[in-house]
Amino acid sequence: MKSSIRRSRRAGLAVALGSVLALTATACGDDGSGAAGDKGNEGSGKGEITFWDNNGGVRTDIWKEIIADFEKKYPDIKVNYVGIPAASAQSKYDTAIQGGGLPDVGGVGTAVLAEVAVQGALEPLDSRLGKSPLNGKLSQNLLDVSKSAGGGDTLYQIPTSANNGTLWYRTDLFTAAGLDAPTTWSKFYEAADKLTDKGKNKFGFTIRGGEGSIAPALDAVYGQTGITSFWNGDKTTVNDPKNVAALDKYVALYKKDTPSADVNNDFTKMVAQWDSGTIGMLSHNLGSYQDHLKALGAGKFRGIPNPTADDGTRVQISNPVDGLSLFKSSKNKAAAWKFIEFAVSAAENSKYNKSAGQVPANTDAAKDAWVQNAEPTKLAAEALNGAGTKIVQMPYYLPDWNTISKADNEPNFQKVLLGKMTAKQFLDTLAEQLNAAQADWKKNH
Amino acid sequence: MITKEAVAVAPAPERPAPRAPRPVKRRRAWDEAPRWQIYLPLSVYLLFTLIPFYWILLFALRPAGSTSLAPWPMTFDHFEKVWTERAFGTYFQNSVLIGVATLVLTTVVALAGGYALARFDFRIKRVFMLALLCSQFVPGALLLVPLFQVFAELRMINSLGSVILAETVFQLPLSMILISGFIRNVPYSLEEAAWVDGCTRLASFRIVVLPLLRPGLIAVGSFAFVHAWNHFLFALMFLSDQSKQTIPVGLNTLMSADSVDLGALAAGGIVAAVPVVIVFAFIQKWLITGFSAGAVKG
Repeated sequence: MKSSIRRSRRAGLAVALGSVLALTATACGDDGSGAAGDKGNEGSGKGEITFWDNNGGVRTDIWKEIIADFEKKYPDIKVNYVGIPAASAQSKYDTAIQGGGLPDVGGVGTAVLAEVAVQGALEPLDSRLGKSPLNGKLSQNLLDVSKSAGGGDTLYQIPTSANNGTLWYRTDLFTAAGLDAPTTWSKFYEAADKLTDKGKNKFGFTIRGGEGSIAPALDAVYGQTGITSFWNGDKTTVNDPKNVAALDKYVALYKKDTPSADVNNDFTKMVAQWDSGTIGMLSHNLGSYQDHLKALGAGKFRGIPNPTADDGTRVQISNPVDGLSLFKSSKNKAAAWKFIEFAVSAAENSKYNKSAGQVPANTDAAKDAWVQNAEPTKLAAEALNGAGTKIVQMPYYLPDWNTISKADNEPNFQKVLLGKMTAKQFLDTLAEQLNAAQADWKKNH
Repeated sequence: MITKEAVAVAPAPERPAPRAPRPVKRRRAWDEAPRWQIYLPLSVYLLFTLIPFYWILLFALRPAGSTSLAPWPMTFDHFEKVWTERAFGTYFQNSVLIGVATLVLTTVVALAGGYALARFDFRIKRVFMLALLCSQFVPGALLLVPLFQVFAELRMINSLGSVILAETVFQLPLSMILISGFIRNVPYSLEEAAWVDGCTRLASFRIVVLPLLRPGLIAVGSFAFVHAWNHFLFALMFLSDQSKQTIPVGLNTLMSADSVDLGALAAGGIVAAVPVVIVFAFIQKWLITGFSAGAVKG
């Protein structure tokens, strides 16, 4: 009995000691300072800065390379890299804005820029850019998108890269079927029909019906109708009768020329399905190039900008632009700005975009040989900067844009695919919400 | 008085004991059903359950770009990639540390709280039990900002301790309710007998009650471990340093905004699932006993 008591006493002591040690060993943290109200300061231009990568994981290696180059050039500045999963970047920023712990520099895409900027977390960058060697070296189109996404008057983001809607198609299947490249919408619909053989599980197209479905659908709609502006006065053009007809035609592809499982397609499923199956075309963006290359190998597919009208008119929606922002709460803004300048310089911006397969924001980087050799990127750059291209600017500046274009309307788009809602009802609902959000935004600006 | 003289009698030849009648097996419904009616639905169910696992194994073990339906030729490149290039080795260590520390803390504190709930009567006991139950309805995301501020005050942001504490706090209500149920099942008279033998309350708890709680402790501990192992939100929000991240956060970084490496994701998924599967394989006997004991009696 005595030895049993002694044993269990020892065990109890060990558990208590173990718990205390575990907590002590793991509890050396920091105070996570830096919330939205914090004004920060310029600092000495030396010391440590923290950088949040909003697309952590896949881009980690290239950012670590850029950081190593930076620390070599500026040995008195140390950059702490934090990779954040892309899907959780917005919630991480939101929590840090409210609770503290914002970084000095962060990757902030245009899709979330307005929401972060409106909470007063970002430093205006116009005057810093004006005095920087980067001035005049960045694509004006991208700067316009960045400015517009931040609310219109102030630049809150230095663009690093542009993405573009890309129609990926299987050249082997097109050649076998004797089809032309789907450069126009007529050729696209013809190919979708001809490549479909449901009995053999072959489909002409895969449509995005799940998460993220609204942007590709709107790209297809505006691309077909040629309407070049998202707003007509204070009202959106999204439910214009021409757009309704174009959406009707587009969603009619579902089940006719696409797999029925497409109703739940987010980009992961859609890309995986295209890479491993016998589907003729996929509408995504430049970001999936490496996945296609790994899965299909070079020479079996091409990526071209989304189709044009039959007369060659190209209308496309503005795609989200990736960029770097400086946080107002930073205690070392001088060093943080040096890092942004360095990361968007020609050599580093080229290196980053080569790895990401995107269009460089730095115009010198965009002239590099790899851009000319990577056909999808080259074509996307030409489409983005082409004189004939009309870009419909999406209202990324609306703080409610993400809610409206995702939570509110993605389920409705699924209803349209399933025939439980008409294209007109869907676009009218979307228009009503956008008009209200725009009116609200105008009242506050 | 009548007496009987003992008469020597030859012993009767030993007769085999009459064989006990064979118990009549009760025929149940499934004994009468044709085998296929049992095995077909089970096979279909098993197929649905196992196909996703096969899919994960297939993608993890076949080379990138392969469309083969069998993992042949087999490669471990994806595992090597996630373990070394994507730092899953570090994430794994952190997850183990968080899981084990949460398990220990949750079990110890829940034992103390559960004992108090089971053995003492106090004025706000019912309200307290109700509050414990209600706290289960509050999602963790709702408390992120206040928790972040508390940990910031304690200078615990970016430390594993913050995640361990948060996980423990969120695990405690359910664990305390479960443990109090298990303790109530142990007769109070056993403890009283130990007191008579000279034990203090603490000693009687350790010597008499604790050994009887083993299934319950295993159930509660494993539940706490698995929850802490799989939980994504607290690790994402409270930890920034890459070297302190956990497996669920690591898995999420394998999916970028525009592309996803399915081979690496599948290999990462297996790395994340294997410890949980092993834990459950070892403890399933006690786990079922523990949960059913807490659920039915109390």
